[in-house]
Amino acid sequence: MKGTRIRDAIFIASIVFAVTILAVPTLLGALGHMPPVDVRTIAIKYLNNTYNPFNQSIWTSSPEAVAAIVWDYRGLDTLFETAVFYSAIIAALALYREILGKKDTLEGRGLSIIVQRSTAISMVGILVVGFATILHGQLTPGGGFQGGAIAAVTSVVAIVVFSRLFIDRSRLSYKHLLVIRNTALVGIALTAIIPLIFQLFSNQTTFIFQNQGKAMSGFSYPHTIADAPMGGSIWFYNLFEGLAVVSAFSLAMIIVFYSEELSRKTIEGEESGF
Amino acid sequence: MLELADLVFVMLGISALLSIPATILAIISRDLLRAVIFSALQSTMYTLMFFLLMAPDIVLVYVAVSIGFMSLLIILLIKKVGRYERY
Repeated sequence: MKGTRIRDAIFIASIVFAVTILAVPTLLGALGHMPPVDVRTIAIKYLNNTYNPFNQSIWTSSPEAVAAIVWDYRGLDTLFETAVFYSAIIAALALYREILGKKDTLEGRGLSIIVQRSTAISMVGILVVGFATILHGQLTPGGGFQGGAIAAVTSVVAIVVFSRLFIDRSRLSYKHLLVIRNTALVGIALTAIIPLIFQLFSNQTTFIFQNQGKAMSGFSYPHTIADAPMGGSIWFYNLFEGLAVVSAFSLAMIIVFYSEELSRKTIEGEESGF
Repeated sequence: MLELADLVFVMLGISALLSIPATILAIISRDLLRAVIFSALQSTMYTLMFFLLMAPDIVLVYVAVSIGFMSLLIILLIKKVGRYERY
């Protein structure tokens, strides 16, 4: 009892100390103006070049500077980031390799009919918001990963509210999700190397991960469709990344929500090595 | 006089300060389901802060992951290990 009281006192004292040490310098203006009042030179450079129809030699045709940096200026970074994310998902799937794609033994019925109906209505809304974020990634904040994470909440809510049996019986099966994820990843790779394929059939020099035409190469993705800025390859990257994230998160959640009887099989015999 | 930029700063401070009791309650709460709710409240405050710091990209992914995925995963875990914490 005495031990817990001392521990609580230390805990409260350390919280107060941490808050004070952060709050006092902030109040005294150690971080400068909050929010900042000036624009840094690198930001000015990006803002001038990202969507500048009057100087199309170095533009990205995407009004959203963050999306342009993520998928055009720093496109290769994002490609490897995606590779890291999918390595993690594949590792999680490999842990459950013996039961992947199997039907769950538990016959759950889910929550009550009122919850199920109201969830079915709001699930449509979540999906619409998610896909709007994906498809407008070149115009508004957000993009493939953000929209994919929003849309993937639908599958998690569906597992909790409608039970796992519902997912097993629906078309959202393990195999279909795997096909969607692999198609989307191939799509990302293809969008990156389509400029090189284009080079085979023409005499122009092109670059990997090229979006808009440069001074020495004429290849461009379509930059406007019906007066709407499409951001060239950024739209395609966002679409494929979004689809891949939705399917990968859904896969991970589906294996996590296996019943204990089935998921226990994966750790059987670990004393004799994995 | 308060200007618009100062209002942003004040809201930032309020949400930062509100997140602290939520964090403390999430740590000391014996009822783990309640701890998840406090942690989601703290995440909501952080979301507001990210928005006020002009990072709407982060807001979109933070809302989905920290309030949706994390809470559901931890509730699943609580279902397996029991709701109340024992010393």
